[in-house]
Amino acid sequence: MSTVLGESPRVVAWRRLKKNRGAVIGMVVLGLMIVMAICAPLITPFDPSTQILEYSVKPAMFRGSVLYKRNPADASRPSIIAVSSFEERGDSVTYLDPAGEPYTIAKTNLMSTDVAIYHDEPLFVLGTDRFGRDIFTRLIYGMRVSLSVGLISESIALAIGILLGALAGYFRGWVDDSIMWFVNVVWSFPTILLVVAFSVILGKGYWQTFVAIGISSWVDIARIVRGQFFSIREQEYVEATRALGFGHVRTIFRHMLPNAAGPIIVLSTAGFATAIIAEASLSFIGLGVQPPTPSWGQMIKDGYGYIALGTNWGMTLFPSIAMAIAVLVLNVFGDGLRDALDPKTSQR
Amino acid sequence: MATYLLRKLLYTVLVLLGVVAVTFFIRPPGDPARVLLGQRADEASVAAMREQLGLDRPLYEQMGIYVKNLLSGDLGTSIATQRSVSETIIERIPATALLALTSIAIATVLGILLGVIAAWRPNTWIDTLTMSTSLLGISLPAFVVGLLFVLIFGVALEWFPNSGYIDRGIEHLVLPMITLAIRPLSIIARVTRSSMLDVLGQDYVRTARAKGLSNVRVFLHHALRNALNPVITTVSAWFAGLLAGTYFIEFIFNWPGIGLAAFNAIEKLDYPMIQGTVLFTAVIFVVVNTLADLVYGFVDPKVRLS
Repeated sequence: MSTVLGESPRVVAWRRLKKNRGAVIGMVVLGLMIVMAICAPLITPFDPSTQILEYSVKPAMFRGSVLYKRNPADASRPSIIAVSSFEERGDSVTYLDPAGEPYTIAKTNLMSTDVAIYHDEPLFVLGTDRFGRDIFTRLIYGMRVSLSVGLISESIALAIGILLGALAGYFRGWVDDSIMWFVNVVWSFPTILLVVAFSVILGKGYWQTFVAIGISSWVDIARIVRGQFFSIREQEYVEATRALGFGHVRTIFRHMLPNAAGPIIVLSTAGFATAIIAEASLSFIGLGVQPPTPSWGQMIKDGYGYIALGTNWGMTLFPSIAMAIAVLVLNVFGDGLRDALDPKTSQR
Repeated sequence: MATYLLRKLLYTVLVLLGVVAVTFFIRPPGDPARVLLGQRADEASVAAMREQLGLDRPLYEQMGIYVKNLLSGDLGTSIATQRSVSETIIERIPATALLALTSIAIATVLGILLGVIAAWRPNTWIDTLTMSTSLLGISLPAFVVGLLFVLIFGVALEWFPNSGYIDRGIEHLVLPMITLAIRPLSIIARVTRSSMLDVLGQDYVRTARAKGLSNVRVFLHHALRNALNPVITTVSAWFAGLLAGTYFIEFIFNWPGIGLAAFNAIEKLDYPMIQGTVLFTAVIFVVVNTLADLVYGFVDPKVRLS
């Protein structure tokens, strides 16, 4: 492969990334997941917290039968009645509930007098959980949580990591010594334990989870930025900024940081995946994002009780597969990025 | 060598001080006594709890007491069980150590083996298979692997029991051990492969081949030995991740180790117990890494002088 003179490194990296089949597949799947997470209400048949208790713990491909009842509190969200059969009788509808009890309801209390509107046979593609909530719907909404955790937590980690790493690598001396001491202290805790510890300190909840994961995962970034800055600092263009009288801030952020960007980008895709795992782990042990907000870790934990019974393994399996795909895709994409950005592999 | 040793130890003590400071602050937000007793508890019992936990004293005094107790090996008293945290941890060390050590042993042996096999014939089906399986192994968190193993080998195939300790038979060790080994195994296999490929491209390997040595001999004697350095670094670095992994594995397989104690403590916000287990894990990690550093310094003079 011949590199045309004058091409920017970004163009070269992009072309090499496109040649990597794994990275392209990863990118496409990742893009799809982001679109699905954003468009969740459009592609899911239910609201993630809609419960149909009569249809709890149903296997995949279960088809229910429901009547939509007018909801006086919220006209846009009808109440749902599970039925095993129903029959129109003039102005009212008689139905048997799944337990076989007969009931009668006036048509005016239903969503519409038209059977095509008040009755439906929804398909639960991946089955339902123990509250009769659609697993597919919750999976898609759970993706929102996972992807936003990856995005927000990783941004926090990047901000802390870049700042501390840059300061240590640029100023050296006692600044480096004290920052590295702090880095070593934090590094002494396995990341997931640190996340758990911060979650205990901050309390349970959506934002607390993001922050706990973010402030636990910056150490690798700080180390790599510091290392990069150590070598970049010796180069002539940095010396030139000093000769020109540029301030430290300008030199660090305008001139040095862009040249350390490659490894940082690679590391942050890996961090993105780690953040998703950390959130799921937290939810799995009951910290983290709290119900009814759907999260993959919670769904896995909900299904855990059924596994030992050997039934309804889908409740655990489907969110596990979703998470595996997300993390796998990020790892493959990260590997591709590393190869594309690393000049050492350019001959391949 | 003596100055290196001394410098290293002093620094370790400094890091441990920081670690203790961090663990001291692991407590529920706001007023821990109120969080533990719930919103409906009356003021008197909350005040009593606060006094029992020493929360009525100023923060610096609490910290002083915490450090003083630590130095005498006292990690506090569990709120949930009213037992000494250090005693609970000590009696659970064997279970966790057994799990962690057998796992890292299996992961190291199998990981190097798989990595060498993949590097033996790079870019063939066996290499692709090994590398994609290991990518999956890296992508799945330990608790998910554990649940899948319970489902496949415990419930569906009924090969191994999916819960309990070895006092009911050695077969209880199999599933938790393998589950815990999956992630380090995958990483070790990948590191071994890339390190082998690096080494195989170097001149002395070509020289060995040119001398007419057999492929197997070049591969195992000349290449593998030199390829192992990054692998050893990976193994020691992974030990901490492994210890954290035991928390989830012990919960899933009901393995009575330190992780299970920590897990139960987290559910009840029993923070002296959480502090104790987290501190224990961190201290083990610092000690293991310092030892690894010292060994490197001993073997390689370059490390010592930097």
